[in-house]
Amino acid sequence: MQTIVVPGEKLSDSIIRIQNSTVINGKTYSTIVGLFSSDKNTLIPLEGLWHPAYGDTVIGIIEEYRLNSYVVNLNSPYKGILITKYVQDQLKKGDLIEASVKELDKTKTVVLMRSRRLTGGKIISITPSKVPRVLGKGNNMINEIEQSTKSSILIGHNGVIWLKGGDMKLATDAIFRIQEEAHTSGLTDRIKGMLTSGS
Amino acid sequence: MYIQSATKEFINDLISSGKREDGRALDQYREIKLTKGVIENAEGSAMALFGNTKVLAGVKIGIGEPMKDKPNEGNIMTSAELLPMASAEYEMGPPSPDAIEVARVIDRGIRAAGMIDTSSLFIEKDKVWEIFIDVYVLNYDGNLFDAGTTAAVTALLSARMPKLEGESVVREGLNSKLKTNNTVTSCTFAKAANKIFIDPDANEEEFMDTRITIANDGKEIRAMQKGLWGGMTAKELEYATDLSFEKHKELKSIINKTLGE
Amino acid sequence: MGSTQDKPQLMINGKRLDGRGPADLRSIKIEPNVVKNAAGSAYIEWGKNKIIAAVHGPKEALPKHFADPERAIIKCRYMMAPFSSLEEHGRTGPNRRSIEISKVTKEVFENVVMLELFPNTEIDIFVEVLQGDGGTRAAGITAAAVAMALSGIPMTDIPYAVSAGKIGDTVVLDMDKLEDNYSDADMPVAVKPLDNEILLLQMDGSFTKEQLKQAISMITDAGKAIREVQEKAIRKPYEQIIEKYQK
Repeated sequence: MQTIVVPGEKLSDSIIRIQNSTVINGKTYSTIVGLFSSDKNTLIPLEGLWHPAYGDTVIGIIEEYRLNSYVVNLNSPYKGILITKYVQDQLKKGDLIEASVKELDKTKTVVLMRSRRLTGGKIISITPSKVPRVLGKGNNMINEIEQSTKSSILIGHNGVIWLKGGDMKLATDAIFRIQEEAHTSGLTDRIKGMLTSGS
Repeated sequence: MYIQSATKEFINDLISSGKREDGRALDQYREIKLTKGVIENAEGSAMALFGNTKVLAGVKIGIGEPMKDKPNEGNIMTSAELLPMASAEYEMGPPSPDAIEVARVIDRGIRAAGMIDTSSLFIEKDKVWEIFIDVYVLNYDGNLFDAGTTAAVTALLSARMPKLEGESVVREGLNSKLKTNNTVTSCTFAKAANKIFIDPDANEEEFMDTRITIANDGKEIRAMQKGLWGGMTAKELEYATDLSFEKHKELKSIINKTLGE
Repeated sequence: MGSTQDKPQLMINGKRLDGRGPADLRSIKIEPNVVKNAAGSAYIEWGKNKIIAAVHGPKEALPKHFADPERAIIKCRYMMAPFSSLEEHGRTGPNRRSIEISKVTKEVFENVVMLELFPNTEIDIFVEVLQGDGGTRAAGITAAAVAMALSGIPMTDIPYAVSAGKIGDTVVLDMDKLEDNYSDADMPVAVKPLDNEILLLQMDGSFTKEQLKQAISMITDAGKAIREVQEKAIRKPYEQIIEKYQK
């Protein structure tokens, strides 16, 4: 059984180890709006920010060029840093890139590697905590969208999604619908229906 | 919300093939929702939604002194606040040049069209009625000029007129209305990929080359404002002007419907 | 505090002018997610008060020397719209009152938001009073708490606020503008409901020690109802969608 909980709502009368919770006087409380499952002992944020981790794929926009690095807007409170000597493309302000997270420094600056410039297409951003739902189990959700819309889609763990070609509007609508309905069951079937009926 | 932009290439490709991201035609407004009387404390008020652009206009009427150069006329003062909550790009602090431009363009249309006869606001020597129009931008998704004008005009058209009793202004329990002469509307056009389109959203505004706002009262052009660095041909201006008169009917009927509710 | 001359009678047979008893709140409604571009937002109608609260961030702290390497900083702007009152057109821009309210509002949230999760960043809280009728700082804090929860920024609890006052010798809750103008005490209080910790308290007028005690207990009693409205607003966007597919 999953229930929607809000900050300050009691999850347990005892101390349980679970993300996004806090313990006060030996009892455990939620710190977020999330989906709580007591049997699986999980609390998934319904809104939330991206917490960078090593190896995450990200999509970002080049914001400025410094002495030996590019600064990248990653749809996050923290900037990405791309060291120029590891970058093959000539990049300029406003360019879109895909990259992966190499390391996080103490100030939470995200150092990136393996960057690639993305040309054309468009980007949209969603709540990062909904990214797994958009990907689907074994990527089945995103594969379904790509096949039906003939759009090429790249998903960053930071919630930024790049789309190019095909029916981008239908693909965008489908992704936003997944974001909005991520906490419901039967979502995969509804999205399939939406993609085949084209609306 | 940190990233909400498409790319210039993407917008230009769409516009040059006569399409837009949300599926609109180039000469089509977004869905417009208009409500009057949302702030009972104000003499007049209206909320306008142009897609995700959300603007609230409030009208207050009080007593003041006339301007030195117009001793026999009342005052109209229009301000706009781009609230910092309305966009990640807006900042706390004094009004930005963008906010001032929005306020002045709205003001010019209303003033030039003679919507309010300022000489009727004269009370006695050194004493006139002052009309304050405040445009509050609650959420930004492009085209503040048209949303702001629509909200401000609707607020004026629905405003009640206070009464002077001795030295004090009575604002409650009255059914007298502020006298207005006509309905002015504003149409904003953007240009990108050498095409003209109406009612740009935030993405389109980010990548447009130029912009023009045309206010008319259904009979004559009353105010215009061109913005940004790009140029515009006489032919494009003519097209925009013609369309602004056609759209005047559309906007006016939305305003009238709201006033009748 | 208003003058004692021309003081209207605010309580008749234990009832207030709008029919409320001393401990009754005005009606409170909260609508979630009214500002699309904000991380979280809420519109509150509390009696005749109409207020929008929104949260932006966390984002890079600016100017940079404001940044704290250990935690996020909070900035707050509380502002009354120039058309918000039934009287004269208000002056635009911040004044001493709005700057003080911004500061105490910020301090309420510094207590509950888990700032240590976002070092070097800032979180912005905006409270815009579109229509005011007494108790706007309390209503603003109550709405901002909903906006904060909806933004996904972790917090230990959802604070609420309400003010207590005194009409004659009667301690009352949630005064409107008219009552506030002629009251004998006014005390806005913000509370963290989990442990009833007081996060904001301002007071002027006169209270006996007993009256203060009574006022605090009236506030925490009423807090349960306020918390319920807040929770309902936070759950609404998600529950609406669940209901849609359960039919």
